[in-house]
Amino acid sequence: MKTPMPLQSACKEFEEDLVLYYYGETSEEERRRVGQHLSGCLRCQGFLGDLQRLLPQMARTEELPQSFWDNYYRETVAKLAQQDERKHWWRALIPSIKIWMVPAFGTVAMAVLVIGLLFGKGNLSSFTVRPTEKIPHEILADENQLQFFESMDLLESLGKLEAQDEQKPEAVNTQSSRVKLQSGIA
Amino acid sequence: MRKEKLISLVLGAFLLVSSQIASAAGDNWRNLTPTEKDRVLENYQRWQRLPQQDKEHLRDEWNRWQRLPKDERERIKQRYDQQQRRDRHRD
Repeated sequence: MKTPMPLQSACKEFEEDLVLYYYGETSEEERRRVGQHLSGCLRCQGFLGDLQRLLPQMARTEELPQSFWDNYYRETVAKLAQQDERKHWWRALIPSIKIWMVPAFGTVAMAVLVIGLLFGKGNLSSFTVRPTEKIPHEILADENQLQFFESMDLLESLGKLEAQDEQKPEAVNTQSSRVKLQSGIA
Repeated sequence: MRKEKLISLVLGAFLLVSSQIASAAGDNWRNLTPTEKDRVLENYQRWQRLPQQDKEHLRDEWNRWQRLPKDERERIKQRYDQQQRRDRHRD
């Protein structure tokens, strides 16, 4: 393999002119001036010789045929499609899903969860903490029910408690019948 | 397309409401201490064994309790808690 020869140095003030001279982009007067200098300067002759040797190698490459670009485009599109497919691999599992089905599936899943919570174990923590416990749905049907069963002891003594309340002495008589019943319940 | 959007909207709204209900019901139970949960379950079992007449009476008492002024409810509840504590000490 041939190692590239470095450019010989030309006179500093003629360096640019020599490149333009090589490409024929100088005015007639300039061309004459450079020509005169060249006839007497070996360094600039060497520099111009190097330009003549090296610059043709740096010529533009040949135009690629249209078929190359067609193939290039097709391959690029195919590669992008493959990449996209890899990114959304899960879509292949549900190929015919429609956009409105997404909230529909979500709703069904939530409905199952709600039913499970209301009529099953009550909630997830109770499921893990108390696996054998069955929480009746009457208790969890709404907040009111839960409070009722929470306060049932108090309700059974409500009349009695009211009767004891010094601020409501009249309650003693009106609640007496209830006290009787509550003692029977308790 | 408009119909599909409407269906999505309705289903989305249902999803939101149902998740709120589930969350509220679950939270109420979850916020109870184990002792409170035991008491609720015991009371429920006892409730099931009660005669119809007593059930009705308790329902009436519950309605009356809810209609009581807040300060009166607080006072009664305090009195009840005191009695419970006293009973536990006695035992």
